Amino acid sequence: MKKKVLATLLATAMTVGCLTGCGGGAAEQPAAEAPAAEAETPAAEEPAAEAPAAEEEAPAVEAPAAAAEGTDPVANLIAATTGTVTLKVWASEEDQDLTTKLLDDFKAAYPDVTFDITLGAESESTAKDTVLTDVEAAADVYSFADDQINDLVNAGALQEVVANYTFDVVNENATGAVEAAAVNGKVYAYPMTADNGYFMFYDSSVFSESDVQSLEKMVEVAEAAGKKIAMDISNGWYIYAFFQGAGLELKLNDDGLTNTCTWNAAGGTDVAQAILDLTASGVLVDMSDEDMATQIAEGNVVACVNGTWRAETAAEAWGDNYAATKLPTFKAGGKDCQMSSYSGYKLVGVNPHSANVGWAMLLAEFLTNEAAQTARFEARGLGPANLAAASSDAVQANPAISALAAQAAYATPQRVGGNFWSPAETLGQILASGNPDGTDLQELLDTTVEGITAPVE
Amino acid sequence: MKKKIQSILRHVVLLLLAVVWLIPILWLFVTSFSGYKGINTSHFFPETWTLDNYAQLFLRSDSIVQYNRWFLNTLVIAIFTCLISTILVLMVSYTMSKLRFPGRKSLMSFSIILNMFPGVLSMIAIYFILKTFNLTNSHIGMIIVYSAGAGLGFLICKGFMDTISVSLSEAARLEGASEAKIFFKIIIPLSKPIIVYTVISSFLVPWGDFVFAKLMLNSGIATDWTVAIGLFNMLGKSMIAKYFSVFCAGGVVISVPISILFLIMQKFYVEGITGGSVKG
Repeated sequence: MKKKVLATLLATAMTVGCLTGCGGGAAEQPAAEAPAAEAETPAAEEPAAEAPAAEEEAPAVEAPAAAAEGTDPVANLIAATTGTVTLKVWASEEDQDLTTKLLDDFKAAYPDVTFDITLGAESESTAKDTVLTDVEAAADVYSFADDQINDLVNAGALQEVVANYTFDVVNENATGAVEAAAVNGKVYAYPMTADNGYFMFYDSSVFSESDVQSLEKMVEVAEAAGKKIAMDISNGWYIYAFFQGAGLELKLNDDGLTNTCTWNAAGGTDVAQAILDLTASGVLVDMSDEDMATQIAEGNVVACVNGTWRAETAAEAWGDNYAATKLPTFKAGGKDCQMSSYSGYKLVGVNPHSANVGWAMLLAEFLTNEAAQTARFEARGLGPANLAAASSDAVQANPAISALAAQAAYATPQRVGGNFWSPAETLGQILASGNPDGTDLQELLDTTVEGITAPVE
Repeated sequence: MKKKIQSILRHVVLLLLAVVWLIPILWLFVTSFSGYKGINTSHFFPETWTLDNYAQLFLRSDSIVQYNRWFLNTLVIAIFTCLISTILVLMVSYTMSKLRFPGRKSLMSFSIILNMFPGVLSMIAIYFILKTFNLTNSHIGMIIVYSAGAGLGFLICKGFMDTISVSLSEAARLEGASEAKIFFKIIIPLSKPIIVYTVISSFLVPWGDFVFAKLMLNSGIATDWTVAIGLFNMLGKSMIAKYFSVFCAGGVVISVPISILFLIMQKFYVEGITGGSVKG
């Protein structure tokens, strides 16, 4: 009897426990979705939420009109400001020193206003994840890579650039950069750099300028020299170069989530075969970015497909022989195809949840104006998006940046849904390792495309 | 002869396991002395040896490496969490082990079941709760979170206290000792080994935590970070080539406080033997 009571008691306790557990789980679900839900609310309520801000900033936002009458929008902003302006800024780790200096300049430029600006570190490549975790807690002004713009705008994490204070953002920056900063024709961010794409670095003591026109030729030359050419083939970002180059399509659908992909259409197998052939000799090797840095420094790799962030490593290792150019052509199905690439931009955005949207916008302008972009180029070798800054002699003479400019004609902005990456990575791995299972290439591409175009729940 | 072969086989297996376990640690250790700052995958041992990584860690703070600051933050959080959790665990264990009250059994099963749900699940909820109290980006908030649920982890400690003979506390009660007196004067001195275990394990939770710290400290301001986040940050795409060996040095140094704590606590492991304290 006693045992029975005990058993009942235990069972009850367990059921209660389970219920509580389930209750906890149920309570968690909305919480887990909270960032998204919460993030969407401001977007849905944008006009309403914007209203007080717009009212507050009224003199400032209408400034361009007023400017025609001879009133300075910045002066209006200053006049409308009382008390301390608190701003939180996120810049990447490598940009900390420069940004600190720019922030000091910013404070000095407006001596009548008391600022309380804190600078945090957040990489441009991960900004979206951090911002979307909690938009309200995110920085007022933050930098991010342009492929994140759709998600950020959808989540209401970017303030539309409705007015300019100090310079014309749209006309003073390169067209590509402004397009990258726009969603549905509305500009949402300030272009900061125009160099987030990739191209070919090479050691000119090994390759001549005519060698680097064709990937087949490069492989031949490198094989003769006993060296390697590196490319991160098992990475969707890079393998795109081959398929896009052969005229196959990959693009983001209008829903902003799913993809359209024709990599398995006619000609697709030729591209896959071309990659197999190129990697078969063991000269063109699949290598991650970090490995490339080591291998370049050790002298094993004499050419690589990479971006400006590796320029320093390459320049150090190859010295005077350091050179860069557009991506070469490759042979697919008997004809030469120019490798395409993703062009990338780094942008500065303003958080609409900021308490000082006007000042945040002014600061975003300050961090991306011609002087700032020039300073960024001088300090870190980053390619400016600003037309005036980009046309300076020093920028033109930089090998990496002029290579990017040459590649720009074949580059497309990175607009792709999240389902692209892992199927493309798998495809890259299989091709780079020589298709070890001997899968039929058409079948392989069909599977890949099926994964890439899969619907998003 | 057969015995010898068996012994050799056994040792080979042990050796293999030891190698598997030790190689990553050895690699971390030797790479922390590497003169080359990035990851070098073509050599196991660095080509040039230097102490510079450690110097950079402690002496040359910049915006990326603020190790002293992170170390201090983590230490403060860990010490407070350790104190609070240990006290909570001991109190709950004592209650569950030595006191008898209605609903004790069901309360125990309930809390054990509750404790089985991974804390990570409630992370986002906790974040938003703390945000309403303005405790995100605050070390106090982190200490609260790390130590708040500690009481539920009483099971092991309670099991140990169950082995302490009831006659001890009964004898004390007959002499007129209060519960507090029994707890402090009899149970605690006899529970040294399990206290050591509790202290070490509750110290390790905040010391090694990454996930929660990353969620809580989201302002991006490096001076607020803990060591785990700071070190992770060094592995960013654009920094790994310049900071990897410094990261390794940071990984080596992080194990120092735990080792010290363990060395201090170790002697209590041997001391806490309950045998012989009850007569006849």
